[in-house]
Amino acid sequence: MAEIELHNIQKRWGAVWGVRDVNLTIANEEFVVFLGPSGCGKTTTMRMIAGLEEPSEGDIKMDGEIMNGIDARDRDVAMVFQGYALYPNMTIYENIRFPLRMRDVPKSEQDARVRRAAEMVELSDLLDRKPAALSGGQRQRAALARAIVRQPHVFLMDEPLSNLDTKLRQNMRVQIKHIQRELKITTVYVTHDQIEAMTLADRIVVMQAGAIQQIGTPDEIYNDPANTFVAGFIGAPPMNLIEGKIEDGIFTSEGINVQGLTRRDAGPVTLGVRPEDCTLSESGNLVGEVYGVEPTGDVTYLTIKAGPKMIELKAHRDFRAQLGEVVQVRFDPERLFLFDQKTGERVR
Amino acid sequence: MASLRRSRGENLFIRYLILGAWASFCLAPVLWFLSIGLRPRTEIITPQPIYWPTFSLDAWHMIWEDWPMAKYLRNSVAAIIGSVVIDLALAIPAAYSLSRYTYRGRDDIGFYILSTRMMAPAIVAVPIFFLFRNVGLLDSIWALMIVYAAINLSLVTWIIRSYMLDIPKELEDAARTDGASDLRILWEIIIPAILPGIITASVIAMIFAINEFLFTLLIASTPDAYTMSVALANFTGGSDGVIYNAIALVAFLAFLPVFLVVLLIQKHLSRGLTMGAVKG
Repeated sequence: MAEIELHNIQKRWGAVWGVRDVNLTIANEEFVVFLGPSGCGKTTTMRMIAGLEEPSEGDIKMDGEIMNGIDARDRDVAMVFQGYALYPNMTIYENIRFPLRMRDVPKSEQDARVRRAAEMVELSDLLDRKPAALSGGQRQRAALARAIVRQPHVFLMDEPLSNLDTKLRQNMRVQIKHIQRELKITTVYVTHDQIEAMTLADRIVVMQAGAIQQIGTPDEIYNDPANTFVAGFIGAPPMNLIEGKIEDGIFTSEGINVQGLTRRDAGPVTLGVRPEDCTLSESGNLVGEVYGVEPTGDVTYLTIKAGPKMIELKAHRDFRAQLGEVVQVRFDPERLFLFDQKTGERVR
Repeated sequence: MASLRRSRGENLFIRYLILGAWASFCLAPVLWFLSIGLRPRTEIITPQPIYWPTFSLDAWHMIWEDWPMAKYLRNSVAAIIGSVVIDLALAIPAAYSLSRYTYRGRDDIGFYILSTRMMAPAIVAVPIFFLFRNVGLLDSIWALMIVYAAINLSLVTWIIRSYMLDIPKELEDAARTDGASDLRILWEIIIPAILPGIITASVIAMIFAINEFLFTLLIASTPDAYTMSVALANFTGGSDGVIYNAIALVAFLAFLPVFLVVLLIQKHLSRGLTMGAVKG
């Protein structure tokens, strides 16, 4: 129900940069995830969209209308916070009703809307409890109900799942995505968890040090990273980044040799290869010894020591090896990435 | 098993013993006062110990019938409650501003407010006397309210401020995006959340106010504005000498209201005294 545009957004506190040069258009009904390590500016950017912070420079538009200087309460935006931020003195019912009361929704409508929102997040039985009497997952659902109850133009979610345990998190991910699809509300979601970003997003915005590193669909971010930061941040375990040099289409590093690369000019480069694109083989790109074996059940993680470098790879779940055993590793030639060693930018 | 159980019983016994000893140590003066207040005057000043005191309501009759004690009590209660109301009306917005907004000189202003507590009251006694005389408020409980409020304002502001600082900022951000104005956030979110702190601050202010003597004596020059604490002084001079049993009884009556208030709100108070200090 709303398109959001960010034009040249900057945020500074004195000499400290929070966010720089953010340009982004979020389409109507789109689910966009801001992904990055803590302190990368993703929450600040979201707070500027909410109206809780003012940008130092640049414009924020919603449906073409400039939002700068408009107070948070006058933007039709609902936010879910990491710490839930439920009002402790009110019951869950009163919590969910609060935004309706503040926006003068007729009393006759309030009750039905509160109950419908509670039903969507399966909280109908707990409406007369106080937040303190609820578990973490229930509190998060209550916070979600409070956000959806008034059908805002934009949902903002600031790490809403990071206080929950893994199993509950998976559950809530599915629920959040389902509700977003059902209500068709433009959503901005902030997280440092790449799994959340990959599973929820229509598009991911990867941020670091206040600047956007790459914008793309989860597939694009994973399969076509723009630089070493994105390549190293997405994927678990992260992409192997090997520094070496290239000449005549041959990449060499200590103990590692990759032939048949299309790039012709010579110089230092960083070679990237994902752990799942490395296989143990009779004739490989590198010879190394097994440094670590971590069976997890569905897959076995191997760490191979090749010269000074540690290479991660995913082996078959039944694979077992002695430490120090010498193995050869082959890289999938279709799935190699080259990066400029100085700038970290992808070279194609 | 048996020895375990016994040791737990002993533990409990020791615990009660220590707490009981402490409680009687604290309550002994109060009971002593009550006992003096309910004895005939002749029994109080004898040098020999009296093991079986005589019960007498002499002092009780005296303070109510010979002295306008009911009026003093009313003055005390009105001045104290009025002063706490003034304190809260001023301290809550001040504390909100000090804890939530950033502006130049905020911390200095906070310190100025606190520093009013640091000077000896006697220093300002004379200026305050002239101030109230010039505005024609001498001898009225309105003046007492204002003075008590002024004495306690810094303390109340700082206690409430420390509670407000403990409220997560997220709560206000949530209320703001939900569409609440600053005043509604203060009224519907902040005040309910720091209620134990407000109660704690009010009780402490009441205790200071009921014990206030110097300014009351200055301002209240006739019984019109006397409070309990000043009335006590009336029993020490004059042709009757020191009337100990009346003093004791009035002191007990002055102690009683705050005691009852604390008893009623005990739960909030104990939570309030720790909540401000420790993050939950």
